[in-house]
Amino acid sequence: MRVIWWLATVVSVSLISIVLSEQRALDPLDNLSLMAVSPLATGLDDLSDPVAELFEGVVDRGDLVRENQRLKEEVERLQAQLAQQEGAEQRVRELEEALGAQQSRPQDHLLVAGVIAQETSGLKRAIAIDRGTADGVDEGMVVLSGGGSLVGTVSRAFTDFAWVRLLTDPDSTVNAQVESGSGASSLTRGVAGGNLRHGLVLDMLPSDAQVKQGGLVTTSGLGGNYPQSLLIGEVSSVEERPQAPFKKATVQPAADPSSLETVLVLLSFKPARLEGP
Amino acid sequence: MRYLLATAALSFLAVLHVSAMSRVEVLGVTPDLLLAFAACWAIVRGQREAMVIVPLAGLLRDLTTSDPIGTSMLALSPIVLLAAARELRTVETEFVPALALVAAATVAYTVLRVGILAGTGQEVDWTGGLLRVALPGAVVNALFTPIVYLPVRWLSPALRPGVVGVGRTVPL
Repeated sequence: MRVIWWLATVVSVSLISIVLSEQRALDPLDNLSLMAVSPLATGLDDLSDPVAELFEGVVDRGDLVRENQRLKEEVERLQAQLAQQEGAEQRVRELEEALGAQQSRPQDHLLVAGVIAQETSGLKRAIAIDRGTADGVDEGMVVLSGGGSLVGTVSRAFTDFAWVRLLTDPDSTVNAQVESGSGASSLTRGVAGGNLRHGLVLDMLPSDAQVKQGGLVTTSGLGGNYPQSLLIGEVSSVEERPQAPFKKATVQPAADPSSLETVLVLLSFKPARLEGP
Repeated sequence: MRYLLATAALSFLAVLHVSAMSRVEVLGVTPDLLLAFAACWAIVRGQREAMVIVPLAGLLRDLTTSDPIGTSMLALSPIVLLAAARELRTVETEFVPALALVAAATVAYTVLRVGILAGTGQEVDWTGGLLRVALPGAVVNALFTPIVYLPVRWLSPALRPGVVGVGRTVPL
């Protein structure tokens, strides 16, 4: 009987808490909790570096792991530059085609944020950053890695910190484009969405698109929620099904979420959702 | 005092889970030491104490993740119900029931959590959640259980007469 009463109480309290949390009535508690534990989390993270390196590469030595990480970051930076250049070339062509109409993107205003926690449950892919509404962060804002590639969007902003939904989260979708031939003129559009099995999948590609392994995937800018030509990653495999109306490709994200320590919040770009009528 | 110790341990494990543990992945999942601790406590210390420890563990988990507060509190509650199996005493040791409880609680926790997240309007992957999170998680959490079982066992002064660790002592 005691267990039944206990269960009834826990279920009631939990459901009420979930409803209150969804209505953002418990935001101050949420804000306080993660900010209070962030120094300990950061300390534990730093302390665990040697252990994590050992765990990540049982065969590799720590210096090789670090070197590998540095090279990955360099590749990511160069790929981001390439994507930016290709996007710029396409933009120039579009502008020329539009009878020389001038168009410019405002100077990017980036806010540096530290990663203080990471969602590890497997059902969701998210990180917490130490910047919140007090710093100008708002829900829907775009978050980039230090190398300039797309990491995700702010899914929930509190006063002093925010949760960022990563690209690989099942709830994340981005309008994307991928190289489907030589040159920037042959970009094919699709939708990149998070997937628990594959990480990131580029779907809705035309069945006749010539998507190849290693092709760079960038944001298309459609929908207005992301700026154009932000690097997402590169195609790691393409699923060919003759009868399927669309082609699918698995994408290796450019930014490795597990190694993110600092990210950039793009304050100057207002997603369509945030802009008023 | 025991609740203070448990609270300190749970707080540490909750913070550890979102920081250092995020780099540890086995079979694609991160070991959930908080869940394992709550389950071990329920087996070693009994259902009565689990009624306090389990909601506390859930609250601490909720406060350090992006889930709505109350999600883990509810999703971890089957631990208390499953801990009733301890009273069956089918085996002399408490370690084996602890392993079984951790595995069963992992599956129950994931399924309930997916349901709650779906109920709050979030996009969830039921099949992926079960096949890629719950089942590997049950194995991985059981594998990591000794890390928390041994301290919980050590902190527990009330050993049942004649039973120590994983074997039975013979009275002279």
